[in-house]
Amino acid sequence: MELSGAQIVIERLCAHGAATVFGYPGGSVLPIYDALYENARRVRHVITAHEQGAAHAADGYARASGKTGVVIATSGPGATNLVTGIANAYLDSVPLVAITGNVAVPLLGKDSFQEVDIAGITQPVVKHNFVVRGVKELEHTLNEAFRIANSGRRGPVLVDIPRDVQADTCEYRGGEPEKTDGGAAPFDVSRAVKAIKGCERPYIYAGGGILASGAQADLRALSERLSAPVGFSMMGLTALPDDYGLNLGMCGMHGTYAASVAQSECDLMLALGVRFSDRATGNIEAYRQGRVIIHVDIDLAEIGKNVSPGIDICGDVKAVLKELLRVLPPMKNAGWLSRVEELKQADRVPVDGGFTPKNIIETVSGFCDEDTIIATDVGQHQMWTMQYYPFGKPRTLLTSGGLGAMGFGLGAAIGGCMANGNRRTVLFTSDGSFGMNLTELATAVSQRLPITVVILNNGVLGMVRQWQTMFYGKRYSQTTLDRRTDFAALARAFGAEGYRAKSLMRLTGILERLPADGPAVIDCRIDMDEKVLPMIPPGGSVKNIMTRG
Amino acid sequence: MGTDRFSIELLVSNHYGVLNRITGLYARRGYNIDSLYVNETENPALSRMLIVSRGDEAIQTQMVRQLSKLYDVQEITLLAKVKR
Repeated sequence: MELSGAQIVIERLCAHGAATVFGYPGGSVLPIYDALYENARRVRHVITAHEQGAAHAADGYARASGKTGVVIATSGPGATNLVTGIANAYLDSVPLVAITGNVAVPLLGKDSFQEVDIAGITQPVVKHNFVVRGVKELEHTLNEAFRIANSGRRGPVLVDIPRDVQADTCEYRGGEPEKTDGGAAPFDVSRAVKAIKGCERPYIYAGGGILASGAQADLRALSERLSAPVGFSMMGLTALPDDYGLNLGMCGMHGTYAASVAQSECDLMLALGVRFSDRATGNIEAYRQGRVIIHVDIDLAEIGKNVSPGIDICGDVKAVLKELLRVLPPMKNAGWLSRVEELKQADRVPVDGGFTPKNIIETVSGFCDEDTIIATDVGQHQMWTMQYYPFGKPRTLLTSGGLGAMGFGLGAAIGGCMANGNRRTVLFTSDGSFGMNLTELATAVSQRLPITVVILNNGVLGMVRQWQTMFYGKRYSQTTLDRRTDFAALARAFGAEGYRAKSLMRLTGILERLPADGPAVIDCRIDMDEKVLPMIPPGGSVKNIMTRG
Repeated sequence: MGTDRFSIELLVSNHYGVLNRITGLYARRGYNIDSLYVNETENPALSRMLIVSRGDEAIQTQMVRQLSKLYDVQEITLLAKVKR
């Protein structure tokens, strides 16, 4: 069958299950958008307000669904606007295929209108990228893009398609895409088994790899089998429900007291699908000393990159967990379990009934169920959400972990909401982060998405201010915003509902009357000197943990 | 950074941009390339590269593992190290 390049793009999107894509049209993707026009029933395209929002939406869609996110943008500025979104997906190992148009092949390399070398620009933040210089390469290239994005450690792939390649025709073969496997390479667990059998105080550090391989049940089974408490990296946080007894919550700089102390007191750490980010480990020497570390990851380059483990297993974490569960006997250390319970109690500090971040998040969570998608932006509100929101199900959290990209949240909320048939979604954000990409409210309105935006509005860039308070002698350089933006009125101007809350009672009243569809924005005024605690200062260890401001 | 010299031999796709991907990886990690040879092989679809750099064993292992992840890298060999 003879098809144009643009038609081949549509066919391969369908073949790879990309039923919803996000993007923004432009001069160099006109043929693709023309093909989308006649295939609107097969591929739903959502136009965002800005390409960055489209990239974050595709990312949020992928995180919430486990499928590959797809974003389309034109050449030049359309393509460069994707870069933050692509980098974000790269740092958090999210499968994403970005399709960009480019100027026609004869115009490449001539500084033509809206021409950039997007393959060169994105090279450090993609698993791979392609420039398709002939239509005959296109079908195979798109199959490769989806395969690479989804194999091994997942991540973004960019396919740059010059405009004439989209218009040219060639024979299209079609067919089902080949199946990607998680990681079939053989691995040996014998050393790990021996070490685990000999340990007394096991601790599990679990990350995004658990969710990527769908190993939640195996993680829980191993934790129960070994009586091992579990501390999570931010990417792994939803793998076990909040009410599971050995769930210690997030570890690291703003992790729970229990996770930090348990890590420092364990004699064996089983690190599963993690990369030992500096935010998770703090001082590496203190982190390593006094324990055996077993590192399990699908990406061999992660093993020994930040922490040299005593024992390493390169493989799919689910397969490794299944093998460990097959051979390991039940273990119980009553002393360790009671110590863990004691640490968990220490985290439960009583709080007054004020209009504080904790109380706001807990009040909102009372109106959510375990299927509600929770998105965040980046900063203090993000850490508070990790600390106080009781996550119940995997893939219900959309947050920018590795890149820490303010402005991620609203786009991600749109993608996450649409990934599951317009599921109720809450975005916790702040006045600073929301200010970056709030134009996507227009998208949420046009798609009638049930997204509740809760702004923890303190009038300052709270996390930077917190560091200025703690480490820069309260010299608040450029963090006091003094903007006076009326977010409730702004929301209404976009066609969303807008509210302002100054008390829990008022907040509850608003939440009780939220619209069934369409977005609502709730501006919650909080104190500018609220801090994220506990905190282990950068490069510090549990010895330096600050539990009060 | 150690002063051990090490050589990595690579068999890569013979395609525009591949050299950039490989040297970019060295640059991002902050490792200087002391010498570099690139030649097309008897199979014109492939090129052979020899890259000499410096670093201790951990760096050498890390470079081999990072380079192995590149789509265009078909084969990789860490050659005998020379202590300086």
